[in-house]
Amino acid sequence: MSLLTSLARLRALEQGIAQPVATVRHCHLSERPMVFIPLKLSGEAAAPLAAMLGTDRARPRLLVVTQPRNRDLRFAWAAELAGELLPYIEGFLADTETVERRNADPYERALDAPQLIVPNPAGVAFTRLLGRSTRFRRADGPYPVPEGVPLLGRWLTYLGERAAYPGSCLMISATEELARHWASGQSALEDANLAALLAWITTGPSDDAEDPLVWPPAGPATDPGFDAEVLAPAIESGSDERVTEALRTQLEPTWRLMWQSVDLLSGLPEAPGAGQRWEQDRGSFSGMAAHLAEGAPPQPRRDGAVAAAAKLARMERAQAAYDVQRAYDDPLIMAEYRLTGEAFAGEVIETVPDNTEGEGRSRKLRPLVVIKTDDPVRLAPGTSLGTPERRGQGAELVSAGEGLVTLKITKGMGRGKTAAPGAVPEVGERVCYTSLTGDFQGSPALPEAEATPWTHGGPPPEHVPDDEDAQEEWS
Amino acid sequence: MSDRLDELERRIDELRAGVRRAMRARDGARARELRAELRTAERSWDALVSGEQPPPALEPPRLVTVREQVHQGLRLLGAAAQPRLIVAVSDAFFGGTIRSAQLTSLRRDEERSFRSAPHGRPYYLSAALTDRLSPARGLLTLSTWPLERRVVGPLSPRVDFLTCAIAVASQEGADGRADRLLIRMARNIPGATGGALGPPDPGRVIEAARAELRVHRERDTRDRAELARRAAAQLGDVARLFGAATLSTIAKETTMKGTINGVKAE
Amino acid sequence: MNTLDALRGTTPPRPHDARAIAALAANPGCARRALLDGAGIDKDAVARHLGFPAPFGQSPFAITRGNLFESLVKADGCAELLRMLRELLGLPVAEVAYHDVENVGAHLRHTHTRALIDRAAREGQDAGTLYDHPLLSLEIAGHTAYLEPDVVAFQLGGRFHIVEIKSFAVVDGQADPAAVAAAARQAAVYVLALRALLEELGHDPLKVSHEVVLVCPENFANRPVASLVDVRRQLAVLRRQLARMTTLDRLLAGLPDDVTFDLRPGEDGRPTRPVAELSDALRGATARYAPDCLSTCDMCFFCRDEARQEGSSDLLGRQVRDELGGVASVAEALGLADGERDPAEGQEEIARLLRNAERLRRECLT
Repeated sequence: MSLLTSLARLRALEQGIAQPVATVRHCHLSERPMVFIPLKLSGEAAAPLAAMLGTDRARPRLLVVTQPRNRDLRFAWAAELAGELLPYIEGFLADTETVERRNADPYERALDAPQLIVPNPAGVAFTRLLGRSTRFRRADGPYPVPEGVPLLGRWLTYLGERAAYPGSCLMISATEELARHWASGQSALEDANLAALLAWITTGPSDDAEDPLVWPPAGPATDPGFDAEVLAPAIESGSDERVTEALRTQLEPTWRLMWQSVDLLSGLPEAPGAGQRWEQDRGSFSGMAAHLAEGAPPQPRRDGAVAAAAKLARMERAQAAYDVQRAYDDPLIMAEYRLTGEAFAGEVIETVPDNTEGEGRSRKLRPLVVIKTDDPVRLAPGTSLGTPERRGQGAELVSAGEGLVTLKITKGMGRGKTAAPGAVPEVGERVCYTSLTGDFQGSPALPEAEATPWTHGGPPPEHVPDDEDAQEEWS
Repeated sequence: MSDRLDELERRIDELRAGVRRAMRARDGARARELRAELRTAERSWDALVSGEQPPPALEPPRLVTVREQVHQGLRLLGAAAQPRLIVAVSDAFFGGTIRSAQLTSLRRDEERSFRSAPHGRPYYLSAALTDRLSPARGLLTLSTWPLERRVVGPLSPRVDFLTCAIAVASQEGADGRADRLLIRMARNIPGATGGALGPPDPGRVIEAARAELRVHRERDTRDRAELARRAAAQLGDVARLFGAATLSTIAKETTMKGTINGVKAE
Repeated sequence: MNTLDALRGTTPPRPHDARAIAALAANPGCARRALLDGAGIDKDAVARHLGFPAPFGQSPFAITRGNLFESLVKADGCAELLRMLRELLGLPVAEVAYHDVENVGAHLRHTHTRALIDRAAREGQDAGTLYDHPLLSLEIAGHTAYLEPDVVAFQLGGRFHIVEIKSFAVVDGQADPAAVAAAARQAAVYVLALRALLEELGHDPLKVSHEVVLVCPENFANRPVASLVDVRRQLAVLRRQLARMTTLDRLLAGLPDDVTFDLRPGEDGRPTRPVAELSDALRGATARYAPDCLSTCDMCFFCRDEARQEGSSDLLGRQVRDELGGVASVAEALGLADGERDPAEGQEEIARLLRNAERLRRECLT
């Protein structure tokens, strides 16, 4: 959290209403998102209790394990869930585009991809555990499970892991995305309560939001009072209807909040970067589908050393790219860098558009720009700069001080003797430059998995799921 | 009918909220009152939604009493055991219908029966006796066993477990339930499973259990003999079967090395 | 002159359990909590009487599951536990002696535990391996708290180990870090109590290992798995906090004269103390509210409400608080940001940052 966000929180507290911390939407929102609210049985690692899900806010689907301790009913529930989610996910595979790649064969990329929206980060974690507890099962053999369950497990595992990838939107949590765009007047801990956060954003804080009788928790944990007073007697009664109706009362309020969250987020214009990241999501999704079609085994329980290092490096690069893209897309995010002196904005007061460097054939056009700014610039001469206004251009800081910054444009000026019209900012134009640029380290040179050094465990054995995996108890 | 259902649902919601509010205010009396009303409303709802009152589920005819089933299980095991294990054995080998919860009051009932008509039955489900000759928590034995088998020294829980494992492995099981029980026991005996998945070889389980038994046997037999001697000398008929009340059995003798803990009541 | 007993008044003291003692270490800087705990006051009852009942509760499903798992681990002479100790710590096969301390009846459990542990520490090898349901004690600000490790202490290589059985799952070698941390804090309380006992009996307290054996279900099955957890850090925090508890005199001296947190229970046990009077008394002892309190302290809603009324920036969490560098109130911070308030000495830098931040937000949002 930055001081800007802290200030927004203070202001929210003073005004009694959440304050914006973004001017555009930094997540892609699908036209047909799948809202998914899972509930689990208290005290168990991953025993599903119920889920409300669907792509149509008027028609939520409720799936319930009416006797949560019964293993067969649990798998039947997973099969029902597969019956809802798999057609949704696979429905995106029909329409594809061919993508050309440098140094690689072209591949087919889905034109759109699935998007799961869960209420909170705990919902993401539970989805991942559901994936873990179902992906090793088999539809044949000694402990068969319904068709579709193992495949569901692999998709849920994929989506759960992808959710940890910075900027990915295949599976997002409502509270996290809302908190990325609005600052409430409460702590980050309290923001994890969907009802409370939404109240701050829409009407102002309300004590009702913390009353489980008014707003049941958004899962996956249920309210202990509900467990004791309603659910336990309902299960004891053996009446499936009663259990189902009891759980409906806990899920329906959250269902409404989830769609309210979708509406709020879609009220913001989508940032250009969000579209680019969604393109990567579509590529990743298509890759996973191809992987499955090739008959690859389920994801291993744990990554090998090389795979883990590669994943970490990928995540770090994605995080850096995500940070840069958001700053370039959103002046309010860029303002955080302006506050720390890594960026500045101001008015152009003087330009030398035909300034050159070098002689003869190596003579290059290097226009000079002088900017008047109120920002505290903390950049050394020679620092490379980029600008959201002209993303193809690069510049270099010449000098800064007394509210004036001089820079020269070093990249993207072409070969001509004079600058193309509009390439150099005009006097009077407002511009913003930052040392935050999209030049990242390339991927680290990691060995192939087969060449994992012995210090890191040696080459990982190829994962062949065994009977033990398939028979693991789910109790 | 749906009007009536709607009304009942509203009423149920109100009552539920009321109960939980009362619980939060720790108003137990009010909560109980509301809960009773809630149960009534829920029953009416159940009745209405399913069209008619469902006939009470017929209990399967009980051919063998709980008492007899426990007796059967203990006879097979041949050593003091916890209800959980007795239930598992009964389930695995005798198609038993008992649940652990039914065994909680058993010992008390047996004692009552014994007191009113001593030795009136061929056997009693009796207690295991601790080193203070009091009843051991959560263990059942048979009155027909010699005292040595009914007392527990420090090593006895392990020895009894191994004895039970040998008994289970020696028994021909009808289906997967027996296998599962054997797997569960075998994995806690060194060398009994050979690391393989699936049902372990019963011969191997027996061999492994015997091997560990040889380590404990001598000391355990000595401890038990001493306890049995004291029990025979100090306890009357009832206490010998069901254990002495804790306070009355403070051991004066703390001589048995490695067994008695030398604790005096204060 | 204030005393802890006078602070509690006529309300019966509430005994501490390990969870409560472990929670003491959660917010060591809070004087209100230190005083309430030191005086043995039932914070849950106080919060309810004030109209701010704590938002905690445990589901019956979780309780049942916890009990089931514990009995599974301990079944048949702790057969599962022995397997794990043999695998994890190389416990010799001969080491199987089991003592169920609870066999002696509730009133003798503590004495019996002492005697058993004393003999074990004296005689070593032959004395026994597993002690089920022991009852330990610990002095908390002059009161004796009795602690029941649901757990078993066992002797291995001449050292005692605390075994803590928890029903949260370890999936593919990973468990919820918050749950593990809570278990470690709780186990540290038992380690401390057992060390205190050994010391009292004239033995070396370091015979109790700082590594505790944590037993959890593995993956999604009921099969238990054990791992060793080092609780040295938790022990250090706990010791420091308990040492502070013994210096409550200083906190007491800072209270107004004749102040009491008495609930004045009537004949039916219900509090009769006027709510306003009790809240005034409590406000006399400074709280240090942080959002973390919401998951650890019964008084959390009362203190949060107080922080709201005071317009304290503590409400927003430690991170915001740290970023504001010593500006404690919302109004003060906003006054500096708006330039309506002159920075006090030492506030110049944060004031400049806040003014800049305010200028940037305005520029971007209009």
